[in-house]
Amino acid sequence: MKLLIVEDDTALSKSIADYLIIEGHLCEIAENLKQALFKTADNTYDCIILDIGLPDGSGFEVIRELKANRLTSGVLILSARNSLNDKLHGLNIGADDYLTKPFHLAELSARINSIYRRHNLEGQNEISFNEIRVNTEGKQAWVNNILLNLTRKEYELLVFFIINAKRIITKESIVEHLWGDEVILTDSFDFVYTHVKNLRKKIMTVGGKNYIKSIYGFGYKFSDD
Amino acid sequence: MIAGGVVLYFTIRTIVYKQIDNSLKTEAEIIEDQILQTDTIPDFTAAFGHQIEVRLLNSQIKKNNISYKDTLILDEKAGDYLSYRSIYYSGNTKDKKGYIITIYQTLEEKQELLKYISLYVPSLLLSLLIISILLNYLISSNLWKPFYISVDQAANYDILSDKPILLPETNIIEFEQLNSVIKSMTRKMRSDYLNLKEFNENAAHEIQTPLAVIRAKIDMLVQNARLNKESLELVKSINESTTKLFKLNQGLLLISKIDNQYFQSEKEISLKQIIETCIDNYKEITEIKGIKVELKATSEAVIKMNEVLADVLISNLLSNAVRYNIDNGFIRCEIDDSYLEITNTGLSLKADPETLFQRFHKGDDNPQSVGLGLSIVKKIADNYSMKITYTHKANLHQLRLVYKR
Repeated sequence: MKLLIVEDDTALSKSIADYLIIEGHLCEIAENLKQALFKTADNTYDCIILDIGLPDGSGFEVIRELKANRLTSGVLILSARNSLNDKLHGLNIGADDYLTKPFHLAELSARINSIYRRHNLEGQNEISFNEIRVNTEGKQAWVNNILLNLTRKEYELLVFFIINAKRIITKESIVEHLWGDEVILTDSFDFVYTHVKNLRKKIMTVGGKNYIKSIYGFGYKFSDD
Repeated sequence: MIAGGVVLYFTIRTIVYKQIDNSLKTEAEIIEDQILQTDTIPDFTAAFGHQIEVRLLNSQIKKNNISYKDTLILDEKAGDYLSYRSIYYSGNTKDKKGYIITIYQTLEEKQELLKYISLYVPSLLLSLLIISILLNYLISSNLWKPFYISVDQAANYDILSDKPILLPETNIIEFEQLNSVIKSMTRKMRSDYLNLKEFNENAAHEIQTPLAVIRAKIDMLVQNARLNKESLELVKSINESTTKLFKLNQGLLLISKIDNQYFQSEKEISLKQIIETCIDNYKEITEIKGIKVELKATSEAVIKMNEVLADVLISNLLSNAVRYNIDNGFIRCEIDDSYLEITNTGLSLKADPETLFQRFHKGDDNPQSVGLGLSIVKKIADNYSMKITYTHKANLHQLRLVYKR
């Protein structure tokens, strides 16, 4: 995927880029509205990660410009303001998703992938990792072509793992991904553990490998290393 | 007043008696003169209203004597006893014959006068007093009216409302001064409040980006394969604190948004549906903890409020009931037209129930809890004039939200 990160905070944009590059994406960075408009005029991106509060204007401008030029890039809005109006406005004028700062890079990665799949529906609604195959449209997963009987949360967890494969993802990011902001519970880490344990068991009973590695009680890494 | 009347009566009586006595004495002296000079008893027919008796004795009186006396004399016409004041005056003529002059003067008129004076004067005073009190009250209430209006306005001043304080016009310099002080004070309070509110919101927003950077850097840092276990432990603890800071900031941002009236759009929503969705959201968590959740709804509980706030309200209440529950406990939700009750099992409350709705109050020693949940609930409830109360009996905790009265 070719991505454009529009963010005035360079420390943040660099981390985003570094994380997404591991996944094999191509990342470019624009620091302000001018650069962003310049880059989007010249290049086509699969997805644009767009901060709304830019020093020289609103990120909404970029979306308007894209739509005016009939470009089909996916747009993920980043905002420091968790405002419903901003969100609705952004989605109305053509953004695909909205993420409020501060977010986890794993979550950002999952959102970008989901936008990408939606934009490229032809045969792209499948993700896979070795013997594991997931159909994101039917929300089903197979191991060695055997259908897994997963709960909704287990399915979401599996997709989250595959998209963020080979990287350590923290328990916090899993909690926020699975339950969102609304359900923030103190002992939710136990529920993550329970879900991970069940998912691992379900994959391994049908002959899948144990890809989920626990990293010092900090998080997990989905990897075949 | 009565005592005053009595005193007045006796004072005037004394004066009247003195006058009567004097005039009686003078008359007696005139008569004496006449007797002494002419040796005749004067003709008294002219002396009206007085009864004068002069008796000439054949013998000498040893001593000149004057004495006064109150007497009652039967009046034949009226058939009644009338009171008289009398003087008994005796002396001797040159030829050593004694004479006794007794003059009676009626006291009826004087007593009448006395009666009237002692009755009328106090009642006049009383009515004067009443009139002056009334007048004073009227004048002062009129005069102090602007003052009381000002006091009332100041007492009812709501810093949350953008309506400026309305103080009455007045010609009284002191009140005008007071009003201008109240006005400038409330203006200052309001602007300080707005500044503070704005600052809170801006601060909370500005913290979001650095927090995002910290999070992103932590996410990147853990990818580093060269990190050993000790370093990862440090990162883990940084990560936990960052998450806490994030939740804290989120809570404060929400409170500041409620304060700033961000959630103004209202519509008819069913609290029953919201709580059903919410229970569903928490289903797996409650299942893992073995908590039994019951919902008893006798009504759809449709109220008019902001949808987001209704979600936050219910989910905070329920999350609270889940969080402070015990394994294999239960949550009982009861919903009606006018109230919502959530009862849950849990450990006994260590803290004072009064502080439960305060910001940063923590119900347990859980380091992950930031202590904003119930203060947000309270904030939303206050915003919609709902009443939230907490009661607990042994290990049962109950939060009751009354939204219709």
